[in-house]
Amino acid sequence: MNPLANLLPFIQFDLFIKIGFLAVALFFIVFLAIAARQVFAMNSIVTDSSNSSFIKISAIILLILSISLFLTALAIL
Amino acid sequence: MPDIFIAEPNNDVPPTPPREDSILEQRAKSKQKLFSEEESLSSAKNPVHLFSAFKKNPDGITFRDQEEGEKILLFVRRSFITNLKWILLGTFLAILPVFLPLLLQSFQSSLLFFPAKFYLMLGLFYYLFVAIYWHINFITWYFNIDLVTNKRIIDINFSNLVYKDIATTELSFVHDVSFSQVGAIRTFFDYGTVLIQIPGATDAFIFESTPQPENAVQILDNLIRKENEPTS
Repeated sequence: MNPLANLLPFIQFDLFIKIGFLAVALFFIVFLAIAARQVFAMNSIVTDSSNSSFIKISAIILLILSISLFLTALAIL
Repeated sequence: MPDIFIAEPNNDVPPTPPREDSILEQRAKSKQKLFSEEESLSSAKNPVHLFSAFKKNPDGITFRDQEEGEKILLFVRRSFITNLKWILLGTFLAILPVFLPLLLQSFQSSLLFFPAKFYLMLGLFYYLFVAIYWHINFITWYFNIDLVTNKRIIDINFSNLVYKDIATTELSFVHDVSFSQVGAIRTFFDYGTVLIQIPGATDAFIFESTPQPENAVQILDNLIRKENEPTS
């Protein structure tokens, strides 16, 4: 029996954790979507032909990771 | 009817001089060839690397609203050493979970009741957070750029992910250029603040933590002198 479960009599503890993780994952997704948007916008202002693709790809990879983390949290928790 | 006179082929006749427009065309072609050769040579010579903070005559860099014939003469970012703080903090955060079992031992009775999948997710979230921390700090440094072209100075500020500020001034408007390098670390790593003053403007152009500030000021000074030279 979880000790914290006694503190949260009306909310199932696992559900509480799940909602918490999903909320954080959603925050990460929104944050990284803004970051990726800004990376693309800044790259259109100053284009560095040799490195711009690296920065763009890293922004997209992080966004994909955050989305997959959200889905993982949804699936396993 | 027999031929009375047949002219012998004369090999001594000098070749007809080429027409003037064809000479010009040839010259233009050779110039173009030379320019493209020079360009390819210089692009191989002076590319801007991912961690470059100071480049003279950089290649492969273009910016929005770049005019025809406008060439970037100086490309400046903050000195890479200014990133040391977040690099160290990020590294510390990345290796911190290695010592987590030691910490958890002391809290064994109160924290280990969580299910295993909770710890797995916590670890994944934590490392995503560290990766985001690195990424945001890096792009903040990467997109804070100052450019000096043969026509103007461009100052691009990018911070906190949502703040973007682009200022431009023509070289002929620049009144004075100076730099300050204060402190042992700045002196050792040779970076400082370059101040570009424009009469009438409320704020001066500031190149923060510029590597080789003396060099930057010299380049700017030469450009301004050239720009302000009276045309005869």
